[in-house]
Amino acid sequence: MNYKISALPIFIFLGILYFLYNGLYEDPTVIPSPLIGKTLPVFESTSLISNKALTNKDFLGKSYLLNIWASWCYGCSLEHDNLLDIYNNDKILIYGLNYKDDKKSALDWLKSKGNPYSDIIVDTSGDIGINLGVYGAPETFLINSDGLILFKHVGPISTGFYEKEILPLLLK
Amino acid sequence: MIPEIGNIFLSISASISLCLFSLIFIKRYVDINFRYTLSKYLSIFIFFFIFVSFLLLSYAFLTDDFSLRYVANNSNVSLENVYKFSAVWGAHEGSILLWVLVLSLWNFFISIYSKTIPKSIVVDMLSIMGILLLFFLLFILFTSNPFDRIFPIPLNGRDLNPLLQDPGLIIHPPMLYIGYVGTSVPFVFAIAILLKGNINISWIAWLRKWVIATWLFLTFGITLGSWWAYHELGWGGWWFWDPVENASFMPWLAITALLHSLIVSEKRGIFISWSILLSILTFSLSLLGTFLVRSGVLVSVHAFANDPERGLFILLFLSVVIGLSLGLYYVKSPKLVFYKKYSITSKEFMLLMNNLFLTITTFAILLGTLYPLISSSLNIGKISVGAPYFNFIFSALMLPIIFLMSPAIFTSWKNTSYNKIQKKLFKIFFYSVIISYIFANIFFSTKFFIVNIAIFLAVFTVLSSLKRIIDILNTTKQNFIITKIISVPSYVYANSLAHIGIGFVILGITFSTYFSTQNELVMNFGDKVNIKNISIKFSGVKNIVSKNYISQTGIFDYYEDKNYVLSFFPEKRSYNIQKNVMTEAAISSNLFRDIYIALGDKLSENSWVVRIYYKPFIQLLWYGAALMILGGLFGIFGRYKSLKNFSDEL
Repeated sequence: MNYKISALPIFIFLGILYFLYNGLYEDPTVIPSPLIGKTLPVFESTSLISNKALTNKDFLGKSYLLNIWASWCYGCSLEHDNLLDIYNNDKILIYGLNYKDDKKSALDWLKSKGNPYSDIIVDTSGDIGINLGVYGAPETFLINSDGLILFKHVGPISTGFYEKEILPLLLK
Repeated sequence: MIPEIGNIFLSISASISLCLFSLIFIKRYVDINFRYTLSKYLSIFIFFFIFVSFLLLSYAFLTDDFSLRYVANNSNVSLENVYKFSAVWGAHEGSILLWVLVLSLWNFFISIYSKTIPKSIVVDMLSIMGILLLFFLLFILFTSNPFDRIFPIPLNGRDLNPLLQDPGLIIHPPMLYIGYVGTSVPFVFAIAILLKGNINISWIAWLRKWVIATWLFLTFGITLGSWWAYHELGWGGWWFWDPVENASFMPWLAITALLHSLIVSEKRGIFISWSILLSILTFSLSLLGTFLVRSGVLVSVHAFANDPERGLFILLFLSVVIGLSLGLYYVKSPKLVFYKKYSITSKEFMLLMNNLFLTITTFAILLGTLYPLISSSLNIGKISVGAPYFNFIFSALMLPIIFLMSPAIFTSWKNTSYNKIQKKLFKIFFYSVIISYIFANIFFSTKFFIVNIAIFLAVFTVLSSLKRIIDILNTTKQNFIITKIISVPSYVYANSLAHIGIGFVILGITFSTYFSTQNELVMNFGDKVNIKNISIKFSGVKNIVSKNYISQTGIFDYYEDKNYVLSFFPEKRSYNIQKNVMTEAAISSNLFRDIYIALGDKLSENSWVVRIYYKPFIQLLWYGAALMILGGLFGIFGRYKSLKNFSDEL
């Protein structure tokens, strides 16, 4: 055996080490959404605020966050201040999807807590949510100007969510 | 107070380990006899202090000392005493303590049973053990201390995970760990040899017994794990290619390869550099397995905790130890390469093939296990490869190895004439084809060609191993059958029993995989199921209250040709504290078949989902494993003196 061959194990080992290190900080239970890289599913609904018709085509041409929320959802009240912060500082547009909710309580909720949403899709039956692969509110999607879903976050968003998770994706 | 003593003792043993390690740096200045004696004493002390802290932790469990966080999380007043004791290694902290205890035990044994190798090698080996011990002790003290206190002290503990409250799991972890950690012995030997830069062939005979011992415990530990899964998980499987199972299986494959390459190294003085690399590889896989289990990077039924800090600690250690070892290997191994001629019909070549395929199999399983990490690192989505990948790749790579086992038995070193192989093997080959054909096609009428192949290979292996023993019996000069049997060298028994065991395992796997009858159905009280000539009647379910769980016990009456034989009592247990529901399957076994009944979900007051499996010959799996272990025992305790007389016969 010569020196070249006996160095081979080192390189194999370094390769494996790289993957192990990368795996260390990932949560193995996170399953990436199959919708990432795909377009928003087709839907037709109305706006909670203006009662006008809303379809998936109305959202093309800009990057935005789509936040799945409901007035019955405890996690949504936890993340609400962080959404307002994004809205107040004009970081990125936020649209809402009011998931399996009652119109009146949804509007009351916005009135008392403030409204970070530029517009809100009504999804009383939860059908749009199913197409989006939602398994519980709150969830937050990042969608780019071509209507492609870039990112999905499950659970309440934390302070600095925009800077940590969204900005790097938009800068790519 | 007592837990604090445990803590102090762990710290003391860490300091002693550091002393032991430092012996490697004072080679030039201190006399070898002094270093040798010192290293022996240090090894005893390390073992003693770790053993006492282990006993103190056990004592804390047995006396329900819930002021310890670890005890509070993993025990309970109402837990049976035997499970209180096994709860010591029931979760992360304690199982790492067990790891280090076993490591110190191996270290202690090396210091005692090493009279046949030079003192300088022994001291180097113990020193390297010292750094391994030091790391794991620091790991315990800084990230996973089982002696941590909790305040306020809870009145009762959160109970041991009900999955672990099973007799099989009392000894599965210790056995597995003894094997797992035993891979450190060939590793420290390899490093000591690399440091020295030369080797005497007689030292390899010494190493081989340790490798067999490690192999034996790994085999036993893995078998116990499978046996437990078969009885406890309730879906009749015994192997799931779970990352943690793979983590114990990869070192097993690597050490099996090592076992065989060491034979060549010992007898012919070649493959030495390769054996050393395999030793490093085996231990690396062992460390890698520890990392996979402890860091939680992969999803597994064995997941203990997802803790990146612990993972990083192990990963750093793993990189340093393995990186340095491979670097040392790169520098020194070319000196340990020797060439000797051997032909394609020689035993050397057969064992080379064995090693080649075993190593490829190990890497194929490694690739499959790490695939989710690799694919997510490369941004091609997080994809797991499941059982189909492993089953395919494993059987495809195993078939050639098994096929070569029989000719390998009858080849000689250097070169074998085709006539000799032909004479010995032709008849056996022919009989094996006929027997396996009868089995596969007449008794079981299979549609699958692979079943024919697998059964043929198993029969071929068993028959040729038997033939070898019979050949030797016929050539001995002893007159009585008992003296004849005793006169057969134990290495022949070791080899033959282990190979027959492999044959049995293949038969067990093949029959139970391809010819099982599986019924998963809804049964009402009074319903009957008929399989072949047997029928099983669901009589009812009764509630039984036990110390720490409530069991719903099904009653199934089993009739053979309309005669009542026995009743099955599969259980659904709800554990009071952790609120888990556990399945206890009821199994009736004999050589020819297992009948396996497990209760599924309750649908209404008198209707249940029931799983009834009929598995032919699955017992052969366990018998095969037992034979392999028996073979290992012959290998360890056998006499090696007679080896030379038979070396031509080998």
